[in-house]
Amino acid sequence: MQIQIEGIVVIVGNYGSGKTEVAINLAVHRRRAGVSVRLADLDLVNPYFRTREARDALGRLGIDVVLPPARYMHADLPILDPAVAGLIRQPAQLTILDAGGDDVGATVLASLHHVLAPARPQVLQVVNPMRPFTETHAGCQRIQREIEAAARLKVTGLVGNANLIDETVPAHIIEGYHFVKALAEEVGLPLVFVTAPAHLAAECGADDWICPLLPIERQLVPPWKRPVDLVAAS
Amino acid sequence: MGKILMKGNEAIGEAAIRAGCLNYFAYPITPQSEVAEYLAKRMPEVGGVFLQGESEVAVGYMLFGAAGAGERVFTTSSSPGISLMSEAISYIAAAQLPVVFVNIMRGGPGLGGILPSQGDYFQATKGGGHGDYRLLVLAPASVQETAEMVMMAFPLAEKYRNPVMILGDGLIGQMMEPVEFPDHLRTAPSDKSSWATSGMATRGSGRRNLVKSLFLDPDALNNQNLLLKSKYDRMRCEEVRYEAYNLDGDYQVLIVSYGTMSRVCRTAVDNLKAQGMEVGLLRPQTLFPFPLEAVRTAAGRPSCKSVISIEMSMGQMVEDVERAVCGIRPVHWYGKCGGDVPTPEEVMEAVRDLMADGR
Repeated sequence: MQIQIEGIVVIVGNYGSGKTEVAINLAVHRRRAGVSVRLADLDLVNPYFRTREARDALGRLGIDVVLPPARYMHADLPILDPAVAGLIRQPAQLTILDAGGDDVGATVLASLHHVLAPARPQVLQVVNPMRPFTETHAGCQRIQREIEAAARLKVTGLVGNANLIDETVPAHIIEGYHFVKALAEEVGLPLVFVTAPAHLAAECGADDWICPLLPIERQLVPPWKRPVDLVAAS
Repeated sequence: MGKILMKGNEAIGEAAIRAGCLNYFAYPITPQSEVAEYLAKRMPEVGGVFLQGESEVAVGYMLFGAAGAGERVFTTSSSPGISLMSEAISYIAAAQLPVVFVNIMRGGPGLGGILPSQGDYFQATKGGGHGDYRLLVLAPASVQETAEMVMMAFPLAEKYRNPVMILGDGLIGQMMEPVEFPDHLRTAPSDKSSWATSGMATRGSGRRNLVKSLFLDPDALNNQNLLLKSKYDRMRCEEVRYEAYNLDGDYQVLIVSYGTMSRVCRTAVDNLKAQGMEVGLLRPQTLFPFPLEAVRTAAGRPSCKSVISIEMSMGQMVEDVERAVCGIRPVHWYGKCGGDVPTPEEVMEAVRDLMADGR
């Protein structure tokens, strides 16, 4: 099963659910399939571990990355680049908006409501059940309601992103798949895809899943580790 | 309970709860505000209190008051916020009260920046506030160790009736790693009846507990300072902690590095080993008391030609390394403190330069 996503996709989720890593890898995956991709970093809340860190590699793959202006790159100021509204008005085949975490991070989407709502974007909520506050279905639904209220957008689908970063094993992915599949049934939303570290993708039994698998080549790493070389891997 | 994925800042909040601390007073500042966000959600679930002060100055004295009443209490902040609290830290140390402070360091001086730094080493280990006091300073290098050090900090603060500081950098607060917590509280609060102010509880007993830092009589103040010194001397004997990495081989260079910077150095040591170069790494886990003996012994190994302190500051810990090495080997420094953490390659180059120069 292949990921076929096109159009405008907004990535939301609770703090640290893996939105940025998912956004980057989704962009790369679709770009490799020949789709034109633009990616905007809308995280105005936190300057650590963001899309900007993967900017060079994404640029070399032909993905257009919209970041806050360079002089504000290391600030924690709520500055939204006007280019983002332009990006929504003139989208690529796939345009990904990576919002900040929780309802606080999603608030920026409300300020784009006038351009965003008419574009009828897909709004995907990333769920990692191994993170605090989203270990239960009730917790995930609470975050969903808070994000929807802050963003003035309804979540349209779920993304499963169960992981313990470097300590992830296939059992975590499989349990996470069942967790988010049941959640999707409970809230009546489609399960759009489930992620797995690329080196574990073959061991998760994904052929029997109801949704496709997005392989993750980790980009947001601490300074003592190297990100996966996306250009060489392509 | 199995492992979960947490930011360092979230793990700090959870660890405090697991340590039985249900009082958290703080004022938000990047890059540690997630502790407040986490505890704003979690404290009500466990019957605890998160109260945001009107400034870090106010928070300092809220801690003073709660600790004086015998409550387990802690705060978190980042560099400029710790500067504002420093007056209260001096008073708390003088009044011999157990409080846990967490400093998730950002760039300085002044407003500096919001990216990682280790520029508050002097502030944490040599003072910050006025007078002859010391903090017991713990320096974690991973999210798991951060959680463990927070849980360890409360009993240590009570053992010495002295503030304990966890000194991490912005990266420790922001990065995510798997972490595991014990199911049960590790430590029961100690008996504080001999010193805590307990309102009416001791009324009529003939004994009154008093929390104070004013000693106008010269002999009384000298005795107070001798008493404090005896506690700091005891810490020097009993609380030194450090980690040795690749110190069994015949290393030519000894690196001393702490916190996340030591993780970069570890990768550099591994890479250099793969290239046939042996480098040792000593990571202080306590910055006060500093592992003087361990650094001196490691530096004195016959194969060791020189020592280098690698830190995200313009050279602060290097002074303690020099104090430890006592001139038996040359001591160098390498570091950066704009917010970019030195890469393994930059550390390797600094070490290779030392080897090439025979310094």
